[in-house]
Amino acid sequence: MADLVKRASRRNWRATFVMFLAVIGPGFVTANVDNDAGGIFTYSQAGAQFGYTLLWTMIPITIALVVVQEMASRMGAVTGKGLSDLIREEFGFRVTFFVMVTLVITNFGNVVGEFAGIASSLELFGLSKYIVVPVCAAIVWLLVVRGTYDSIEKVFLAASAFYVCYIIAGVLAHPDWKAAAFATVTRPQAAGIRNYGYLYMVIGLVGTTIAPWMQFYLQASVVEKGITPKQYAASRWDVILGCLFTDVVAWFIIVACAATLYATGQHDIGRSGAEAAQALRPLVGEYAYLLFAAGLFNASLFAASILPISTAYAVCEGLGFEAGLDKKFHEAPAFYWLYTALIVLGSAVVLVPHLPLVYVTVLSQVANGVVLPFVLIFMLLLTNDRELMGTFTNTRRFNVIAWTTVVVTIVMTLAMLITHR
Amino acid sequence: MSLVALSELLGAAVRDASGSARGRVREVAIDPHEHGTRIAYLIVKTADGDRLLPSTDVTTCGSVVRADTDVATWERHTASDNVLLLKRDLLDQQIIDVHGRKVVRVNDVELDATPVNSHLLLTVVAVNVGARGAVRRLLKGVVPSFTLRALLEKIPPHVIPWEYVDLLETDPARRVKLKIAYEGLSKLHPADIADIVEDLPPAEREAVFETLDEEVAAEALEEIEPDIQKSIVESLDSNRAADIVEEMDPDAAADLLGDLSEDRSGEILKEMQPAERQEVTDLLAFSEHTAAGRMTTEFIAVRHDGVVDDAIEALKKFEGSREAVATIYLIDVANKLTGAVPLLKIAISSPAGQLADLTEQFETCAPDTPDDEVAALFDKYNLLTLAVVDEHGRLSGIITADDVIAMLRGERG
Repeated sequence: MADLVKRASRRNWRATFVMFLAVIGPGFVTANVDNDAGGIFTYSQAGAQFGYTLLWTMIPITIALVVVQEMASRMGAVTGKGLSDLIREEFGFRVTFFVMVTLVITNFGNVVGEFAGIASSLELFGLSKYIVVPVCAAIVWLLVVRGTYDSIEKVFLAASAFYVCYIIAGVLAHPDWKAAAFATVTRPQAAGIRNYGYLYMVIGLVGTTIAPWMQFYLQASVVEKGITPKQYAASRWDVILGCLFTDVVAWFIIVACAATLYATGQHDIGRSGAEAAQALRPLVGEYAYLLFAAGLFNASLFAASILPISTAYAVCEGLGFEAGLDKKFHEAPAFYWLYTALIVLGSAVVLVPHLPLVYVTVLSQVANGVVLPFVLIFMLLLTNDRELMGTFTNTRRFNVIAWTTVVVTIVMTLAMLITHR
Repeated sequence: MSLVALSELLGAAVRDASGSARGRVREVAIDPHEHGTRIAYLIVKTADGDRLLPSTDVTTCGSVVRADTDVATWERHTASDNVLLLKRDLLDQQIIDVHGRKVVRVNDVELDATPVNSHLLLTVVAVNVGARGAVRRLLKGVVPSFTLRALLEKIPPHVIPWEYVDLLETDPARRVKLKIAYEGLSKLHPADIADIVEDLPPAEREAVFETLDEEVAAEALEEIEPDIQKSIVESLDSNRAADIVEEMDPDAAADLLGDLSEDRSGEILKEMQPAERQEVTDLLAFSEHTAAGRMTTEFIAVRHDGVVDDAIEALKKFEGSREAVATIYLIDVANKLTGAVPLLKIAISSPAGQLADLTEQFETCAPDTPDDEVAALFDKYNLLTLAVVDEHGRLSGIITADDVIAMLRGERG
């Protein structure tokens, strides 16, 4: 029998290695796609407008991000179902319909943001957005529809390494390290709650880091990878490491812009991301500026490849339309139309002349922040459902952190609406 | 007869014999032990708890439900696993559409209400998976009911008749109680079963493979993509897994077991019948990407001094795959390959004809021939099967054309 077992295991080392790779993927990819054009613009604007003062948000946001992403991936591993499937099965058609409509609207804003990132970054290399945006939209469409999921995923993973350039940009900006570190651990000033611009930015930071669409995407990827509750321990580390890496990058972007733009009085990067990078040029030198532009392009293109398809999947699965790239166009018309419409319309918006790209993008991230607590409420109800999750329901500590996130974002949103003149 | 939608019925006011409203419909239940499609009772939420209104007491059914018995005679509700609850088990859940051969989500359930002796006979007739059910669910209670009705008339119904619905239930005990046996699914082509199973969440996949007949399960499993194949087999208990693997083509079984962990494949092999186990372990010793890794050991070989009738007898007894019978191989006493006769020649020759006279030019390859050379041989000689022979010229297995197609598609994907 021993001989028999040995023969059976001839490819076993390979299976183990493949399993390791399979598990290390989703959390890390999601967390890195998190620093998309929306993220980069919002972090840059936060640094330019408020200097180091908003760095305090990074620690609480990171904690909330880890908790939320962990919930999404745990749900995926335990139930084997996507978030929209679970919302549909537990809360019925009507609720699902409204969640999906909201998701499509906010995600459309995010898609616009990604194409705005593509336009801004390539403008720095002297390319007209009227050419590059349609070309990139076509590339994204084909990459997803014609390519296979696995080969796309490898590109994403390789691209994740590219985010290190933001850290380099941050270092090259010669920030005041002491002040930055101090600001990160300082308690926020209470006066902020009465300041509209401040609240708008904080909600934008929350919304861009803990974007609702990412929870749908992450859970779907965990399901797609077939991660089981048994393999889940490794998956949890994948999520945590990914979140930490994301927020370290975010921190460096804020610091870089605070040290340069804020310090020289350019508090509004306003109309296009190109201005932000152009402004960085004389301050930090040629290389940091190029890194910033290339990083932005890379981030935007890859997020643009994930966001529309993940939205199409979530919506079709929740509402019961046929979905899947293995289906032909006529077999899954709603799926392909929604996917195509998000890309075509999302890129078309960016082509509107004189559109203030950064404003629009940051606005979409604020919308993320406003919608987040409602998605979180569903996630909390689901992850505490014993019938669904068995022994994998939330711990008390997780519930406290997640509910606090819900309450704080709702309070901030209300305060923002009140302070709006 | 008239149709009532489940979503209309849920929340409907219930009036008893006295004519006064006693509560609202909360659930609709079928008891499979009594009847497979007939509604057994409605669960009514009344002022003092949930009560069971037997469907035989119902006289009108729609946005108002009337009964000709008194509320006091309705039994109190106690939770039971033995009944199918249409709202909980069906509404918004996934089911298998056996006719359309896919997994779909239920938007609404259509019930038929036929008057029989002043009472209504309520039966479930179809599930609604189209826009009509969706719009009804969305707008119910928001727009006036007559406007909604008029609007719904304009939307084409997209329903699946109840006989084509296979329910998904992950709890094995409840599957037995509800008599869920995947009868519709098991009649489909294995490749269609495989497509459907690939679309299901893991727990539902496991449920299907625990329930299906072993032979059907084995054929379907062969068609499923390797990652999912592996996760299904890992989720089954090793006894059940062994039963299914035994029924599989030995080369497919070897590929599958080779992908599993050492412990798991060992457990499954241990549970298998000795003969099948031997075949599979022999194949496991070869690399997956060679002729020996691709070949099956289930083929037809008859003695080269035999007649056509012997070949026909061997065909009758053969239990392997249909693809493997395309060629009848001739061997000598030492198992050495001496000839190959196409099935067609067997069919058109007289039963007493010598097999050796019918043999045609045939191709062979060594066990360690790599995939691409195997594919090249199939292409060059337009083969249906290819014999794999060892260094002594003995026939150890055959490769069939379908394996080569799968191999080529696998490389491309």
